[in-house]
Amino acid sequence: MAKLRQIAFYGKGGIGKSTTSQNTLASLAEMGQKILIVGCDPKADSTRLILHAKAQDTILSLAADAGSVEDLELEDVMKVGYRDIRCVESGGPEPGVGCAGRGVITSINFLEEEGAYDGMDYVSYDVLGDVVCGGFAMPIRENKAQEIYIVMSGEMMAMYAANNISKGVLKYANSGGVRLGGLVCNERQTDKEYELADALAKMLGTRLIHFIPRDNIVQHAELRRMTVLEYAPDSKQADEYRTLAKKIHENVGNGTIPTPITMDQLEDLLMEHGIMDAIDESVVGKTAAELAVA
Amino acid sequence: MSLTMEETKARNKELIEEVLKAYPEKTAKKRAKHLNAFEEGKTDCNVKSNIKSVPGVMTIRGCAYAGSKGVVWGPIKDMIHISHGPVGCGQYSWAARRNYYIGTTGIDTFVTMQFTSDFQEKDIVFGGDKKLEKIIDEIQVLFPLNKGISVQSECPIGLIGDDIEAVSKKKAKEYVGKTIVPVRCEGFRGVSQSLGHHLANDAIRDWVFDKMDPEKNKFEGSPYDVAIIGDYNIGGDAWSSRILLEEMGLRVIAQWSGDGSIAELENTPKAKLNVLHCYRSMNYISRHMEEKYGVPWVEYNFFGPSKIAASLREIASHFDDKIKEGAERVIAKYQALTDAVIAKYRPRLEGKTVMLFVGGLRPRHVIGAYEDLGMNVVGTGYEFGHNDDYQRTTHYVKDGTLIYDDVTGFEFEKFVEKIQPDLVGSGIKEKYVFQKMGVPFRQMHSWDYSGPYHGYDGFGIFARDMDMAINSPVWSLTKAPWKKAA
Amino acid sequence: MPQNADNILDHENLFRQPEYVELFENKKRDFEFGHPVDKVKEIVEWTKTKDYQEKNFARDSLTVNPAKACQPLGAVFVANGFARTLSFVHGSQGCVAYYRSHFSRHFKEPTSCVSSSMTEDAAVFGGLNNMVDGLANTHSLYKPDMIAVSTTCMAEVIGDDLNAFIKTAKEKGSVPMDYDVPFAHTPAFVGSHITGYDNALLGILKHFWDGKADTAPKLERVPNESINFIGGFDGFVVGNMPEIRRIFKTMGIEHTLLCDPSDNWNTPTDGTYRMYDGGTTKQQVAEALNAKATIVFQQFSAEKTAKLIAEHGQEVVALNHPMGVAGTDQFLMALSRISGKPIPAELELERGRLVDAIADSQAHLHGKKYALYGDPDLMLGLTQFLLELGAEPTHVLSTNGDDKWAAKVQALFDASPFGKNCKVYPKRDLWHMRSLLFTEPVDFLIGNTYGKYLERDTGTPLIRLVFPIFDRHHYHRMPIWGYEGAMRVLVMLLDEFFESLDANTIIPGKTDYSYDIIR
Repeated sequence: MAKLRQIAFYGKGGIGKSTTSQNTLASLAEMGQKILIVGCDPKADSTRLILHAKAQDTILSLAADAGSVEDLELEDVMKVGYRDIRCVESGGPEPGVGCAGRGVITSINFLEEEGAYDGMDYVSYDVLGDVVCGGFAMPIRENKAQEIYIVMSGEMMAMYAANNISKGVLKYANSGGVRLGGLVCNERQTDKEYELADALAKMLGTRLIHFIPRDNIVQHAELRRMTVLEYAPDSKQADEYRTLAKKIHENVGNGTIPTPITMDQLEDLLMEHGIMDAIDESVVGKTAAELAVA
Repeated sequence: MSLTMEETKARNKELIEEVLKAYPEKTAKKRAKHLNAFEEGKTDCNVKSNIKSVPGVMTIRGCAYAGSKGVVWGPIKDMIHISHGPVGCGQYSWAARRNYYIGTTGIDTFVTMQFTSDFQEKDIVFGGDKKLEKIIDEIQVLFPLNKGISVQSECPIGLIGDDIEAVSKKKAKEYVGKTIVPVRCEGFRGVSQSLGHHLANDAIRDWVFDKMDPEKNKFEGSPYDVAIIGDYNIGGDAWSSRILLEEMGLRVIAQWSGDGSIAELENTPKAKLNVLHCYRSMNYISRHMEEKYGVPWVEYNFFGPSKIAASLREIASHFDDKIKEGAERVIAKYQALTDAVIAKYRPRLEGKTVMLFVGGLRPRHVIGAYEDLGMNVVGTGYEFGHNDDYQRTTHYVKDGTLIYDDVTGFEFEKFVEKIQPDLVGSGIKEKYVFQKMGVPFRQMHSWDYSGPYHGYDGFGIFARDMDMAINSPVWSLTKAPWKKAA
Repeated sequence: MPQNADNILDHENLFRQPEYVELFENKKRDFEFGHPVDKVKEIVEWTKTKDYQEKNFARDSLTVNPAKACQPLGAVFVANGFARTLSFVHGSQGCVAYYRSHFSRHFKEPTSCVSSSMTEDAAVFGGLNNMVDGLANTHSLYKPDMIAVSTTCMAEVIGDDLNAFIKTAKEKGSVPMDYDVPFAHTPAFVGSHITGYDNALLGILKHFWDGKADTAPKLERVPNESINFIGGFDGFVVGNMPEIRRIFKTMGIEHTLLCDPSDNWNTPTDGTYRMYDGGTTKQQVAEALNAKATIVFQQFSAEKTAKLIAEHGQEVVALNHPMGVAGTDQFLMALSRISGKPIPAELELERGRLVDAIADSQAHLHGKKYALYGDPDLMLGLTQFLLELGAEPTHVLSTNGDDKWAAKVQALFDASPFGKNCKVYPKRDLWHMRSLLFTEPVDFLIGNTYGKYLERDTGTPLIRLVFPIFDRHHYHRMPIWGYEGAMRVLVMLLDEFFESLDANTIIPGKTDYSYDIIR
């Protein structure tokens, strides 16, 4: 039996992280890999396209009903979807209450104790926007994910988030074994997007593992709560995901310890590519109205 | 071993240097600022205080929750104090502080009970506000005679962002006449119990004083109304203090907070004078009452006859001749008892040395009582004192006294080993360490399950206890006879 | 004047003097604004009713007077059971003050333990620096052979990663790279002190057996004939462990006690303070991997640990705190079966003497009703023993016992005619017990020190056999395990019975006809 691969997809909210990860994992399943997806976003939408439905029975909601996670069985929370991909959602509180980060810790501990990883080739963690606290770093702790894939785009905030996530990875890379597998750029059709993503990847000490072009077929598939792989397996876009999956599959052991950059360096990068003009210090903090008067 | 003053100072300096050697450099630097030998004439003890304990050194300190629930709020007897969070904090502090009270426990009085929200993982992840609401409802059903509820936050509450203030407000509206007080005393706040005292004081200000109904619990005022502030009635301390104040003609309208009630808290702004025993834990609310209600406050010390007499006169000086005469009458009344106690115990204790490490006011306040018995305090320190405590300490300690702030287990052990005092007064965590070393010990937080130690009635017990600790035959047995010769 | 130099009055008498009685009355009347006496009486009576009990048992959020503590307490217990090991709890410092006080009040012994003293800044930025500085200070100051790390709930909520932190601390030179720092995450909001015991012991075994957090090769098991013993969280450990050692020796079995704090909490007063004494050594832990089997004396206290051991190829015999005759029989027969050695005559003689004592006294305990509460395994053991004595464990309650536990207790009831009217109460607290003692009274209560409040309110005499015991001294020095331990428990049960009977017949000229001189 091949050694269990544990990977994680991180990325700013709304970047298409869940879509990218599910399509990629569907491609890996197509390659015959046995896959478990662990959704670590309180919104619990990391497995929607695989299951054709939003997962209702999250670990934490069931545990709350039952009393504690000790009262749960693995079958209660594990669902099987497209190409036998196993899906679990950790779930979590409504925004603004409780501690979603702790929820991630609880869920992963539960899955490990219950032997959810037995017989799998891949475990993939899908983690929300940013490594905001220790709980959301759980999937990158030692003996968890070996490689992190950051889903990003050419937008400033997505790149900013990618850099932040690299910082989180770096923190754990020294003591544990986690590595940055690469950036996945989800095309937003911003200016010079490929160049920017590629440059950022280099600065972070990693590589742009794949650039996924924008294609409306993704939206069509999503409306049907399906991956492109399932909805239109012969489409060009499906092939893009297959390529990404193959690259990830072959990327074992090629991860790097990231070299996060400063905010200034990030701004320089944007300027270099002409995305941002040199900052005129006199306009910083001025409203549009104020600038008009001046 | 009788050292001259200079020798003592030199030895203490040496001792400090010696213990510092055991630390990594960075820590030694930090700890050096907390250790000193007192120089007579200085206005403080020249030690840093009220700053973070160093990790990993075995500090004796507790946390803000301990200061709020354990010290200030816990003794308010007719309220229910919820230890809000996981089960441990409430469990370890359950009835551990000997705050004596009169009342029917579980019916109209709740001090020695452990009410906890017993947080589970789901409460952490999903937040605990709903559970808190439910708990308050359940309390009203099962304990209908409670006069109010306080919510004592444990660490997770502040970390997961629960809004206990909103819950408290909502429930106070629902249960008219019940005071509901949220306290943000999470254990990670501040550096010791001390911040918990402060937060608890502030909670009384904001959630009791600012919300009280002036029509409730009316009583006729008198010119001699005082409130006892900062006496937790350990082993009955507040009672053996109250009796003296009443005997001198004053009327005690409230006890804070030992054997105290919510009504007494609300009575207090009507006092003519607040008499403050534990300055550390209740100076905040005393200052507030002075500013807002014009109630002056005076510190006093009811340990040992010398300090008791001085304090009675000091308190009386705020009143008319009737009370001044009353103070003299009380002092005279107990003179015979005091003389008899001293006659009995002083010869057995004369010249004995003591090292203290306690909290609150005791590292200085008890020194007079020891001196009344002919004993000398040669080292003292505060678990969670501030600089104003160390300033006040200068009035009590002698030149050369070893001062150790937030002492570590290691330092305390070394100091006692070298100085070999006749008695150590500290807490339960320290007790057995020193007894194993053959050094007599008294717990000076809980009075070692004895007390009261306050007032004249307490002094007799104090003297007897110190004698029984120091002069117990057991200390002559610690070395096996066949080893003694060696 | 109440006080007197020749006859110093202590609190219990001082405050009964008329001056104080008057003071109390005045205070209450004039300033407390309490409820009328009649109202208080009415509620007192109401709390004794079935109606109150129903409301009491309907609560699902409030816990009142629980019989459990939190995980790190168990972790501190475990660390204390290893040679020259210092317990290091990562998180808020107040917790550590509480654990130390708690154990010291029970064992009347020092309990060493350090904290990483995390404060508000660490809550925001994580406690890595506290770990780095803390390990360095602990190591240089107290010179332990091993530092066993666990966590408070604060560190758990913010998600600090012990494995990574300890590695970083080592890289920064806090302790040598090859220094042993086993660790366990012990969130206070999961399980109880017995869960913490389990996690901490698991952490230590994993550390030594499974490659010291990937810094050393995993150990290869080379089976031998020895047997490991894991006691579980036990308030009588000081008395019990030597008894277990004696039993093993008597049977001539090579053995390792995994986690043995019985010396650490039993040091002499001879002029020297021993910060560390006794305990399982690191070498013993490593070698324990090779044992033929492990006896887990308290199943619920070592569930995960038992699983790990089994996975390493050993037979694991999980018991539920066996006590009394049949319980001890079961334990000894397990030892005999595993080791292939017969149970020696000496132990058989002890057994005979215990049965003799029971035969002498059983009439006094036959049919007596007991209410008991405490940790799940202890409750199983006591239930079994009481049934064996012909007594009825009418109410068996555990705050940290779950439904799985309850089913096991029920099975014991079902197996004995004396269990017919008995009931088990998982996940309940002492305020539930209070209702039970009013609505379905029993003759005796078995519990910890806090049971004295139930004794006061309900008049049910309390026998202290459960941790913690703060208000009686030295019970923990005597074993309650083995035939010898059973003898001790038997005497305690009988003592309380006879004391109660005497107290109940002591009024001269009224009830003292039954104040018998021979019983």
